[in-house]
Amino acid sequence: MLEVLGHIQDPDLGRDVVSLGMIKELEVSPQGKVSFTFELTTPACPVRDRFKTQAQDLVGDLPGVTAVDVRMTANVRQSFMRPKPSEILPGVKQTIAVASGKGGVGKSTVAVNLAAALRKSGATVGLLDADIYGPSVPAMTGSRQEPEQVNGRLLPIEAHGLKLMSFGHIYPGDQPTIYRGPMVGKAIEAMMVQVEWGQLDYLVIDLPPGTGDASLTLAQAVPLTGVAIVCTPQDVATDIAVKALQMFRKLNVTPLGLIENMSWYICPDCGHRHEIFSHGGAEAAAKRLGVPFLGAIPLEEGIRADADTGTPVVISRPDSAGAKAFEHIASQVAARTSIQSFRQLPVINVH
Amino acid sequence: MEITWEDGHHSTYSGEQLRWACPCAECRGEAGAPGRLAKINRLSPEELLIKDVTLVGQYALQIAFESGHATGIYTFRYLMSLPPRPPEV
Repeated sequence: MLEVLGHIQDPDLGRDVVSLGMIKELEVSPQGKVSFTFELTTPACPVRDRFKTQAQDLVGDLPGVTAVDVRMTANVRQSFMRPKPSEILPGVKQTIAVASGKGGVGKSTVAVNLAAALRKSGATVGLLDADIYGPSVPAMTGSRQEPEQVNGRLLPIEAHGLKLMSFGHIYPGDQPTIYRGPMVGKAIEAMMVQVEWGQLDYLVIDLPPGTGDASLTLAQAVPLTGVAIVCTPQDVATDIAVKALQMFRKLNVTPLGLIENMSWYICPDCGHRHEIFSHGGAEAAAKRLGVPFLGAIPLEEGIRADADTGTPVVISRPDSAGAKAFEHIASQVAARTSIQSFRQLPVINVH
Repeated sequence: MEITWEDGHHSTYSGEQLRWACPCAECRGEAGAPGRLAKINRLSPEELLIKDVTLVGQYALQIAFESGHATGIYTFRYLMSLPPRPPEV
């Protein structure tokens, strides 16, 4: 049984699913009924359905097998193989940063929808808004309440099944945050250390644009599983996105890939497809840099409208092209982070 | 200090070697001005003893010495470029 299941290759991890330990609780009844659990490394696995059909067909073809019952589950693995969990976010298995070079490319929209799509797939997900000066997460998730404190620790705000924390929750309304650089680092660290994140499969971190204090603090404070870079298609955006990507490379943070936002627009009146900000720039840049292209998101009024009313489009309009694009990207991101969980960081011994 | 790298190979460093290789601005100098290590030719024993090593993100190590000096952030790339320590006899 395991021999035939061993023919199923995980395309992202590059190994067969049996040696990866994904087949569990295998039972065969005297009547020839086979049942087992197929444990994926992420509930948002892009090949989930293919795996299930393959497993059913391969086992079903064996002589003497009368029925096959495959239970698909997922257990997100801790990022990096390491002896002890991260001290700074002990209950968090994977930390995924969403960054950009240029501002205004839709980073927060992507971060919110990425988090919501991962949640929809069944994972437990948190979203940390690391944009101290321009926090957008409270508005985009319709969560403007202030966090409660228990034993000196802040409880994350819950909305749409996500655990959220933003400076916009801590300082609501129109109060600005007037901070010099080093304070930004302290604020981001506080949102990691002083917030009761609990057990999470994924913590998505929405970074401010650029290659400054926020990104640097994050890359120094926590072993990030990887970073997804958002950009719009035109040269002025992709050129700067490349700088952001190279910064994370220098800090040994794996680029999970590039995401192209505002990639095309379908006119609701004439149905014509417009490419307002050009098209394909991110995919070309990804190819040039040798990183994955994670997907493209259309420019849709619905995405903007639902962000303004506080519901991610993957929840409010799950059948829209925009929502489908976000879900595709989320499964790509999840697949890339799974690969990272098999990575071993250097081991240091002092004696 | 011993490091097993992602690809499985090992590197060994002595506290003395690491102290003299400290990349911080005070030791190396900045803006064209020479740093402390360029002006001296010996360090006291407590300056050479490693007290603690902390991982910085996933790209570097911060090494604290018994003397209290801890401002050097040694990137993995930099550590890999340091000459291998000769085997002890």
